[in-house]
Formats: sequence, C-alpha cells, structure tokens
Amino acid sequence: MEKDLVEYIAKSLVDSPDEVEVNVIEGEQSTILELKVAPNDVGKVIGKQGRIANAVRVILNASAAKGNKHIQLEILD
Amino acid sequence: MVREFEGKTEQEAIAKAMEELQLVQEDIDIEVVDTGKRSLFKKGNVKIRVHVRQQKEEKKKEEETSFDEDFEEKIVEFLSTLLLKMGYPGTVEINFRRNGKIGLNIVSEHSAIIIGKKGKNLDAIQLIVNVYAGQLLSHVKVVVDSENYRMRHEEFIVRLAYKTAQNVKKNGKSQLLEPMNPFERRLIHTALNDIDGIETKSEGDGLFKQVRILVDDTLPPLRQ
Repeated sequence: MEKDLVEYIAKSLVDSPDEVEVNVIEGEQSTILELKVAPNDVGKVIGKQGRIANAVRVILNASAAKGNKHIQLEILD
Repeated sequence: MVREFEGKTEQEAIAKAMEELQLVQEDIDIEVVDTGKRSLFKKGNVKIRVHVRQQKEEKKKEEETSFDEDFEEKIVEFLSTLLLKMGYPGTVEINFRRNGKIGLNIVSEHSAIIIGKKGKNLDAIQLIVNVYAGQLLSHVKVVVDSENYRMRHEEFIVRLAYKTAQNVKKNGKSQLLEPMNPFERRLIHTALNDIDGIETKSEGDGLFKQVRILVDDTLPPLRQ
C-alpha cells in the first residue's frame, strides 16, 4: 500500500521510471521503505535541501496515519 | 458599479468583496462606510462600499491563462491518483486559471487529513504536484486547495497580524510569531505596512523564518 504510493510518486518524478525500486523492510512497530532510483535521478527525488524527499515523507505519514505503524523512507544512493 | 460588503474587520470585508467579485484589490476602490465601533460591549461589523473600476474588468479577462487540455488532464489525473494511493480518494476539479497559475480543488470526505495540521499535508501534496507539473510545462504554478483552506488561512494570518500588532502597540514589547513560509510572512508584512508605529522584521534562516512585530519609534518625517 505505502510501497505503491512511494513507487507512484517516484516514477512520476524521475527520468527513468523503469529503474525505480522500492524495498519494504517490515519491523514490529515500524516499516522502512528503501527507495532506489537511477543515479541520475537521485537529485530529482531528494530536491533542493531535501524538499521533495521531505514532502514525500509528509505524504507518506499522512497516508500511514490510518494504521498504527511508523513509516520511514530511506533513499539509497 | 458600487457594492457593499460587511465583515468583522475591514480586511475581512475586503477579502469577501474580492472573492465575490473575483477581482484583486487594485481593481477596486474601497470606502469604509461604518467602522463598526458601536459600543464598548457590542462589536459591530465593518461595512465597506466597493467601487469597481469598469475598464479594469476587461484587463482581468486578458490575464486569464489557458492551458493545454492535455496538460490539465494530466495534472488532474496525477493528483487524483496520488490521493487514491494515499488511501483518501476524492475528486479533483479545476478552480481557476489565472496569471500562469492553475488552481485545483480537492473534494473529498477525507479533506481534514488531506489538509493536515496547519496545511502541512496540503503543502506537501502541492509541492509534489508542482514538481510533476514543472516537467510537463515550465513556468506554471499549481495551487492545490481543499475546502477553501488557502483563503481561510490567509484571513487567519492577516487577523493574527492585526491582533498581535495591537498587543505590541499596547505593551510596547515586541512579539515573535511562529515560523512561517515566505508567502505567509509576506501577508504579515503587507498587512502591517500601513500601520503607524509598528514595524515588522523577519528573523532566522532558511525557508521558514519568523516574523517579529515591534514598535517603530522612529518619528515619521515632518511635513513641511
């Protein structure tokens, strides 16, 4: 569910949507989402001073507010 | 054309007038009919009379921007899919097209969470939609709104500015407002610009600075 959301946003923002990959690491109380994009696209999902990455985190948290699990987003490079 | 509007404050009445007439403040002349200071206990409404400058109405039409249908369809589609994937489905409609901006309105039963605390979620959604729109078309700004939040929030900020300024004037002590984005800060600066004896300054670093409202003790230049 949240994986889908991150994947959708990332694919809409990058140049190479085919290289977008999201790994889910389920913990007991929290879920970690690892976002992997093409090297050229890393800047596109992070943005100036992390603005885009933070906006994605806010959206993710709003979406996860339904459940009771913490969601973390990590961008791999 | 002359119309009358009422509001709790002059600002509110003006905002109402602008919203209803779909005009910006430059296009209208405002005359305060009743300042609302009726008695100590009963707060009367401020009544203003608005004179619309006719010639400007045509100018306003020219400023209306039209966008490619394909582009509009794409951003509406993007936003509705985003909301759906968030788990808060809703319908997206186009609010306005003006001065290179396009306004989108979200109608959803989940609007409270879509807006979020202090509009946090709405701002994040708006940012992502803008990045997406920027890829399709440069020099376009998308304003995302729901339940008329943006306008209500603007009124709230302006009212807060006046209230704080009054306190500062009374106590002579400066007050620091909470961190705000550039747009919100500008609302405060412009709202208090015309008020004598009050000064505003931004403090801090980064995008979210704080506005300090303080007493301006420099005397105005003497008229000769």
